Amino acid sequence: MAASWFSAPAPVTRRVRAYFAPVNRTAQTPVVFDPTEQSGFALDSPPAPWINLGWIQAFNRRPASKTAAVLTGVPAGITEQVRETVEAQVSFEFLSWTKLTMALATNSQHMNLLARASSAETVADGGAAATAVNVQSGSTASMVLLAAADAAKFTAGSMIAVDADYTGQTGYVGAPISGAYLRQALTDVDYIRRVTFNVALVSQVSASGLTLAEPLPGGAPAVGNKLQALAGFVDREGGSFYHEWSALFVMQGSQGERIFYYYPRLQSMSSAEEATAPLDTNHKGGHARVLLKGQFLALPVIDPLDGERVVCYRSFRPAANALI
Amino acid sequence: MQNAKDSFYMALRTRLATINPDRTILLRGVARPGILVEEAEAPFSQLPNDVFVLRWLGLCTDLDLASTMTAEECEIAYQTCGTQSYGGLDRGRALSEMDEELVSMLQPYYTSKLNYAVQPAAAMLTQVFWDEPGFTPIVAQKDRLSRSAKVMVYGYQEQGE
Repeated sequence: MAASWFSAPAPVTRRVRAYFAPVNRTAQTPVVFDPTEQSGFALDSPPAPWINLGWIQAFNRRPASKTAAVLTGVPAGITEQVRETVEAQVSFEFLSWTKLTMALATNSQHMNLLARASSAETVADGGAAATAVNVQSGSTASMVLLAAADAAKFTAGSMIAVDADYTGQTGYVGAPISGAYLRQALTDVDYIRRVTFNVALVSQVSASGLTLAEPLPGGAPAVGNKLQALAGFVDREGGSFYHEWSALFVMQGSQGERIFYYYPRLQSMSSAEEATAPLDTNHKGGHARVLLKGQFLALPVIDPLDGERVVCYRSFRPAANALI
Repeated sequence: MQNAKDSFYMALRTRLATINPDRTILLRGVARPGILVEEAEAPFSQLPNDVFVLRWLGLCTDLDLASTMTAEECEIAYQTCGTQSYGGLDRGRALSEMDEELVSMLQPYYTSKLNYAVQPAAAMLTQVFWDEPGFTPIVAQKDRLSRSAKVMVYGYQEQGE
């Protein structure tokens, strides 16, 4: 009779996949990854609301919790040890530059460079923006309906930001991804669209609106949302805002096994920084790829199972038929 | 080890049939996808054009694991003279097409291990996996362009193998 099991050696993996989801800053609620239900997802289509960040490299996680010994007796001997601090750090390099990877790899707010009004002053992070156009009802995450005259202002290849007008609110701004924290009200009606993550590339323009190359991360635009063209992105060294994300890293083993590292709360802990990797290692002065470096501090959550404070969950889904 | 070799070949053959159904070879009177294992055919005086030829080279084993791991190096050779309709002037394009097909064939870098010594082939418990290919420079011999790629193919020995 053929064997129905095998002894699996240590997992062999090639690369690491990264997925991020926004922490609800107002409610201080991270996104939960439940490996009992979600460990089998297709790596290219993670369960909502996780956003696929693709492959990463130089993945390095460093537990930084400190323990101390409790000594008793003369001469003193270690009776037990206690955990003094709970801390962990994660670092890696992104293999692409996108709105999200740039934002993740900096520890300040990340902004969209909205297309300028023709009379705008010159400002380092974008001056007064061209007037936003109204999004029509019936729009979806992939098709933004506009009045014909508004649609004619865009072309295939345009980049756009879609979100609500800023109306003087303070605190965390942007939903579901908080893009900034305002201590005092501003006068810029476009401010939310400057910090929104609801951006996309236009693939097609028709008289009825814009077809997007990828769906808007925030889903179908809400009633009253407006749309503006953007020219790129900008972040700053300085400022006081820290993004916070739930993160999931997946290593897929050669036998189908999976290792998951789930960090409920990660905050970037280093300023925007890049690493360069020569395309030809024998020609270091030639072309080099510029990689966004991300370095994160894991913040604790209370595990509802037993009330313990933890910063990371490592889970393992063994290969089929492997001895456990 | 033979099961790993067979599984690797069959995975590439199945994928090639999807990637380019027109790349075929008439072998022993049967038309089949244009990929073959050199050691499983009668010796060639010269490799056939426009076909991928798998040649098994080195072998390593790691016995210190819960299951013995084998690593076998596979060279995949291919060559072309281009097409008659273009007088062979398209041989560079034809070779590029084969380069792209090989890169596609090798992805994903794993396949299930099957025992093809029985009919029908029996699924085994582990997977065969491999690394990215390492391509050699093009070799030009008169009107023929040839190239090969080397891939390290890994597998675990199962009970009864």
